[in-house]
Amino acid sequence: MTESPRIEGLLRRIRREIRRRRAEYYGLRGAFWGAVAGVAVMLAKHGLGTKALWIAGGLIALGLLAGAVYGAARRIRRGDIARVADRAFGLDDRVATTLEWGARPDRTPLVDALVRDTIARVENLQLKRVVKRVVPREGQLLALPVLACLVLAITPPIPLPSGRLPDFLSSTEEDREERTSSSMLEETTRQLAKDPLKRPAFEERDFAQRAGGTGATTTGDLSAIFKDTSLANTRPDFNSFMKKGDERLRMLEQTDRMPDLQSDYTNSQYKMVYRKSKALTGGLRPDQISPQKLRELLEEMERLGRKGGGNWSGDAMEGMEALEGGQSDRALESMQKALDKMRAMDEAQRSGKGLRGGRESERGGRGKDRARGDGMGPEDQDFGEGEGLMPGKGRSNNPKGEATQRLRASPFDVGVEGESRQGRKDGYDTNLTGRGGSMASRLQYLGVIGQYRKAMEDAITREQVPRDFHDQIRNYFQSLDER
Amino acid sequence: MSQDSRVQAFVTAFEALRTEVEKIIVGHREVITHVLTGMFAGGHVLLEGVPGLGKTLLIKTLSEGLDLSFARIQFTPDLMPADIIGTNIIVEDADGRKHFQFQQGPIFAHILLADEINRATPKTQSALLEGMQESAVTVGGSTRMLPAPFFVLATQNPIEMEGTYPLPEAQLDRFLFKLRVRYPQIEELNAIIDRTTQPRTATVSRVVSGPDVLSFRELIREVPIASHVRDFASAIVMATHPQWEQAPDVARRFVRYGASPRGAQALVLGAKVRALAEGRYNVSIEDIKTMAVPALRHRVILNFEGEAEGVDTDTLVSRVVADTEAGVAHSREPFLR
Repeated sequence: MTESPRIEGLLRRIRREIRRRRAEYYGLRGAFWGAVAGVAVMLAKHGLGTKALWIAGGLIALGLLAGAVYGAARRIRRGDIARVADRAFGLDDRVATTLEWGARPDRTPLVDALVRDTIARVENLQLKRVVKRVVPREGQLLALPVLACLVLAITPPIPLPSGRLPDFLSSTEEDREERTSSSMLEETTRQLAKDPLKRPAFEERDFAQRAGGTGATTTGDLSAIFKDTSLANTRPDFNSFMKKGDERLRMLEQTDRMPDLQSDYTNSQYKMVYRKSKALTGGLRPDQISPQKLRELLEEMERLGRKGGGNWSGDAMEGMEALEGGQSDRALESMQKALDKMRAMDEAQRSGKGLRGGRESERGGRGKDRARGDGMGPEDQDFGEGEGLMPGKGRSNNPKGEATQRLRASPFDVGVEGESRQGRKDGYDTNLTGRGGSMASRLQYLGVIGQYRKAMEDAITREQVPRDFHDQIRNYFQSLDER
Repeated sequence: MSQDSRVQAFVTAFEALRTEVEKIIVGHREVITHVLTGMFAGGHVLLEGVPGLGKTLLIKTLSEGLDLSFARIQFTPDLMPADIIGTNIIVEDADGRKHFQFQQGPIFAHILLADEINRATPKTQSALLEGMQESAVTVGGSTRMLPAPFFVLATQNPIEMEGTYPLPEAQLDRFLFKLRVRYPQIEELNAIIDRTTQPRTATVSRVVSGPDVLSFRELIREVPIASHVRDFASAIVMATHPQWEQAPDVARRFVRYGASPRGAQALVLGAKVRALAEGRYNVSIEDIKTMAVPALRHRVILNFEGEAEGVDTDTLVSRVVADTEAGVAHSREPFLR
């Protein structure tokens, strides 16, 4: 420790300067952040009123004060002050070395000379301010939040989009006067929101039915809106929704099995005529059927055949001739033939219609030709004995002709609907809604399914079925077993 | 004698010796100053420069200004270690009996000029190692002390590399400073012409004795150094190591091996001499910065990229010093910089 009051005075002076600069530095930073908080307060002026300006100003002052106190209170080491003095006055580290070595027990005689030299030089110093003012980045930007506070102070309050800040306003007369129009508007809005017959405000829609459908009608409950439906209290089943979504996605991967959704099957010609024929013949013997209505139906079928290019016009004509001759049985038989042809054409149009790239489209096209003509497509007509069609290669030497269409050739083949008893069984009692109509049938599918399963395994082994689809296919057969 | 007068005597001696050398040597003030610094610091100095720049003349002039013995060895490829150290020879006394007697080599001198040191074989070069480090040589199993002060001044030519043997790193590290003698400016060249092509009138006086040099060496070691100045010197040396976590990018990119601890010693000792030569009793940051290049330039080994890019070690060390200083300043808050 040096005893020189001059050196100590120099250090004290520099320490004061550093504290002052630090106080300025951190004060500016504190003021900036206080001003930022002040801007937030001013944004909430709607709820705070004139007090917002005072609060914002107080925050700025508080930040400034807190920063200044923090900066001034920070510790400064003597060695740091000495280095500042050395650099500021060009003392070549004399002061720092003197302070450090002056207190060391192993000081050499040269240190005494150093101390004397340092004291002499410090006494001859022309003191000046040595610590530069440093403006922090926050200080350079301080004007922005302060300006924002002032602008917000003179502009009208910004209404908050939702909720309200706590009402700091007292019930004094002054405050009441300031609230006039805006508070009245608020109250009106609140009253409207509480009206159960009107649609609740957005912030009041809490979708309480999701938390548990108790059935009790509360404010904001959707059951109030869907009062007459049972859906209002039903909790949405997202799992089933996602499961069905997954199934639909899987269906999308099988493009060749997708039906033509663009056409309205419920209103197809076949359906329409079929319903009329059922209505005409339902439960009646041929001699009990009205000849007039039967004639009208046959005429309708004949007209549709001519108009749509169908091949059942001849059958309908035969039916009408038989009816003229009083042969109701033959007339019904002709009508049934015409219906079969209509159905065949309808099915051919529905299977893979409008889809390209799938194998079904090619088959469907041929089936359509077959249904339209005499059952033979253009390619089929030229086949000789023992020849068949080889896909993509024209004629085939296969005497059996085309391979049998798979189950998926028609939606009816896989779209079997109905109820079945529980447990494993060798047959499936069907209750068909498709072409089977009211006819009860029994599909002995266990034997068939075994053959198909073997064919499936062979196909997976031989054909280039993508690996990702192996499990999907096997799962499908597994699901058939479970039924 | 008081400390002030001792310091003043050193300042006077240093300045007088430099003045005497400058009577003969034109320019090269920095080189002369660093040579004197190295000598008073107790180290050895390697001078590098193309032929004809006055390296040998500088050293000879210095030896004339010192009241010390001087020896010169011209290193050649066929020079043998015994030619430097000496050898035992058979002598016959007056009685006719023969015995071995050690014949001292030129190394037994206060000032040894090893001219074109890189022209001798590594075996011969290594003969200097023990003498430079221990101030002693071992011949025939007996160790013999060299006279004090012992000071080796070596020169080497950086361009005629054919038939030379570059000094190994171990030997380079034993030189306190490596100085580069640069080509003179045109004014200096004119002065050289005037001085050397006219009848020589300048004579060099012996201004410093051997005991004075030894006394000054002790005084120099008493110079105090503040901890932050010492830390700065250490940081510079560490910054030459690419493996150091705070090493600057230039060191990471171009340096294979950084300076050894001898580099830090050389840095601080040179800084102490510089401080005392300026009449100052303490080492400053500026002293460290000034001595960094001569003390570290031969201790930094460039990697392949550095060699391929033609990186100059002087520039590299300067960059390291600047980066280190900036890093130290940056670590302090703005009011304390």
